[in-house]
Amino acid sequence: MINRHPESDLLVEYASGSLSVAPCISVTTHLQYCKQCSDSVESLGEIGGELLTTAQAVPVSDELFDRVIASLDSLVEEEPSDEPQRQCSDSISAELPEFVQRLLPDGELDWRRLSPSLKVAPISVGEEEYELALHRIDAGGKAPEHDHLGKEITVVLTGSFSDEEGVYQPGDFLVREAGDTHRPFAARNQECICLSVLEAPIRLTGIKRVLNPFLSFTPS
Amino acid sequence: MATEAENWNECIERVGRSQDRGAFQSLFKHFSPFLKAFLIKSGGVTPENAEELVQETMIKVWRKAPSYSSSQASASTWIYTIARNTRIDWLRKQNRQNPDLLNAEDLYDERENPTPLSSLSQIRTKKLISEQLSQLPVEQAEVLQLMYFQGQSGQQVANTLALPLGTVKSRVRLAMNKMKLALAPLGDLGVIEGSN
Repeated sequence: MINRHPESDLLVEYASGSLSVAPCISVTTHLQYCKQCSDSVESLGEIGGELLTTAQAVPVSDELFDRVIASLDSLVEEEPSDEPQRQCSDSISAELPEFVQRLLPDGELDWRRLSPSLKVAPISVGEEEYELALHRIDAGGKAPEHDHLGKEITVVLTGSFSDEEGVYQPGDFLVREAGDTHRPFAARNQECICLSVLEAPIRLTGIKRVLNPFLSFTPS
Repeated sequence: MATEAENWNECIERVGRSQDRGAFQSLFKHFSPFLKAFLIKSGGVTPENAEELVQETMIKVWRKAPSYSSSQASASTWIYTIARNTRIDWLRKQNRQNPDLLNAEDLYDERENPTPLSSLSQIRTKKLISEQLSQLPVEQAEVLQLMYFQGQSGQQVANTLALPLGTVKSRVRLAMNKMKLALAPLGDLGVIEGSN
């Protein structure tokens, strides 16, 4: 049962195409788990189709159709993709939704230990505004308390974690705004893997400042 | 008798089944001026760019037509999605990001399934959505227009209209409620709201 979902304006931004790469990925990941939001996104696409065809049309040049036809004629039939399937060999990757697996690099994920029970593996998506990463909290482990300088989106992929406000299950979509402080911890019986999107580095509150996990990698 | 919308669906299916150029020409004549109107509103797009993007979109329509199914999406929604993705990839190229690494189709997970996971009866909902859109209060319709047509984020709409972001968000939510879209229950979002 999915408890937490993207807000309606975020879904509209998603459907209308204004989200950056990493936030867009976080919503698509949530949709892998959430039928309700998938249905909404489908309807939001219908709004796009309707707005498209009720707009004030702008005539195109006379020769545009011929140009399109000329390109079709020179279009090489695309071979069914022979490209080698990217394969992430990390042991956890098989447990993740296929959509997420496709984002992962070849070979092993680059896990970096941030605290005794928390690891992070950055995922490169070719943009600089946001950092995309997988986070992994050991069973029963606690992440250091931290607050956020920018927005953070978390989608639970496997296992579950809790913080002061509740328990989060696979598919749950959480947004933390700048200034929120929380201390997540994983369920006792299972490690928890999350996909996270960070708008800006977060800083640890309290004395563990030097361990600030999310300053330890920069987007590439 | 088939409605106009069903005819466009049929045209795409004919292109997909038998590479019917007549059907493709009808689609082109009908949709390309709307596509140009849509694409020209994207930031940084000149009229010439807009035509290039129309061309790119229509070529994708031709190429992807075999995977189109009218039971999954209406013609206008399907073409809108292709145009939106074309615009996303184009804008990323302008920002010197590399869309080849992950293009919009990958980001929306549309590689194998070109239309989103389908469950609703599209043709029926299309008529309903069209009626509901036309009945929205002007200020809600305006926000949707800016978001869909100009590809603006909620924050950008807030800047454009000189409104607080919260007002833009609530207009979106009101519009969605009015259109009775199955969005997440409000109760689940309380925490996020409270932290703004």
